[in-house]
Amino acid sequence: MSDRTYEILFIADPNLGEPEVDALAAQVQGFAEKDGGKLQKMEKWGKKRLAYSVRRHREGYYVLLVVEGTGVMVKEVERRLKVTDGIVRYLTVRVDEALRKSERRKAKRALGEEKRKGRAGSQPARPAEVQQ
Amino acid sequence: MSSQGMGGDSRSFGRPSGRSGGGAGARGGAGAGAGAKDAGGKRYFFRRRKVCKFCADKIDYVDYKDVKLLSQFVPERGKILARRMFGTCAEHQRKLTEAVNRARHIALLPYAAD
Repeated sequence: MSDRTYEILFIADPNLGEPEVDALAAQVQGFAEKDGGKLQKMEKWGKKRLAYSVRRHREGYYVLLVVEGTGVMVKEVERRLKVTDGIVRYLTVRVDEALRKSERRKAKRALGEEKRKGRAGSQPARPAEVQQ
Repeated sequence: MSSQGMGGDSRSFGRPSGRSGGGAGARGGAGAGAGAKDAGGKRYFFRRRKVCKFCADKIDYVDYKDVKLLSQFVPERGKILARRMFGTCAEHQRKLTEAVNRARHIALLPYAAD
């Protein structure tokens, strides 16, 4: 099976310091890599207010990892996230399919627009829109 | 009873706008909107033509991380704005719902406020 792209977003305990959060992120990356995952991107959003309290926390440190891997990897990573201290909440989303679909759509739209431009020539397609 | 009438009515509104978004943006939408008004016939009070924001802005992938975008569709109370209120097309409403639910899980948006 070809690999899939997943976004793993987790909230770390806000009481942790910057280096500890870094360590935690590296740890999660390790979970993924152990099962053949490849890290594509890591983003630290910093401390943000939570919309509601989770485990008595009003804020949390958001970290996003984009990982390429298999379903088996995700299962293992999620299991480990569940038991890791300092992780308040996590969310894993598969994104490759949706992104591919949107890319395809974008390409299609660009193609359609070009066609329309070519066909329209002197036809006032734009002004009609403005009048409305 | 009256609410059911509303629902049926707005559905006929939502559908043409959705179709126009899929193909040709604002151009096809204008004709479709006029047609719906004719069909509405008797009860004729002013109603703004609603166009799906996602179609208009050409957003194909509704990202759960984009709180700024999502919060436009989630008023203070925390509920997702109904399709008939905002004119979102079916496809995008579905994607919006999914994105909002994801954002809620990860505490970017509230399940319920106050």
